Amino acid sequence: MSVALQTEAIDVAAEYTQLVGPRPGAAVATFTGYVRDHSDQHAVTELELEHYPEMARKVMWDLGQLAAERFGLSNWRIVHRFGLLAVSETIVWVGAVADHRGEAISACELIMDTLKTDAPFWKREQGPAGEQWVASRDSDIARRARWQSGETQ
Amino acid sequence: MASGSVSITIKLFSALREALGESEFELAISDISKASEQVDVAAIKALLSQRGAAWKEALNQPNLVHALNHKVVFTDAVVSEGDELAFFPPMTGG
Repeated sequence: MSVALQTEAIDVAAEYTQLVGPRPGAAVATFTGYVRDHSDQHAVTELELEHYPEMARKVMWDLGQLAAERFGLSNWRIVHRFGLLAVSETIVWVGAVADHRGEAISACELIMDTLKTDAPFWKREQGPAGEQWVASRDSDIARRARWQSGETQ
Repeated sequence: MASGSVSITIKLFSALREALGESEFELAISDISKASEQVDVAAIKALLSQRGAAWKEALNQPNLVHALNHKVVFTDAVVSEGDELAFFPPMTGG
């Protein structure tokens, strides 16, 4: 059960090995997010991620604990990068270990859906058209709301 | 500044930081804390809005987020000496 904020690329294989340990439990789900080469309307060459370190760490920790409680996780980890990121680099990695696949997958989904709207990170895209802050998306807010409305289990 | 002045830390992020040209500073709130029993986030926004049109506009955006001591709050949250109050646009992580 841990969080990490880092500038270096996420070593997904190492993270997985460490999450699972010598006894994998019954079900392990992970999510890895990468920098896309495009946004809705234009090409993206680099992404800059600003963050609020103390609050980001707290929000990520609280979110992991919430998911652990809700889905009975035996282990979880959230890794988020900040700073300048190139296209195709990792941005975020989430891992959850549970007794059943449903709980492990749902935990990753809850963490990712909530992280996008509640953790203090701000993306700034750079591309041929210049630089711009990424606006929050209604679809992300709607996905996050599902976890509060009881629509999800 | 008189001894015993009451101050909080203000932090600004993302587009707000860029628009206002500051990322972190101490704000003395002695005057408003003397004038009223409780100082809330709305009072701090009003105080900062007096710094000029850019501040007023930035701090009164409808989607502005306020975080008091690392927790998102509404504008009626009470602010005390030594608190850290951050203002920023909606978050776009993940």
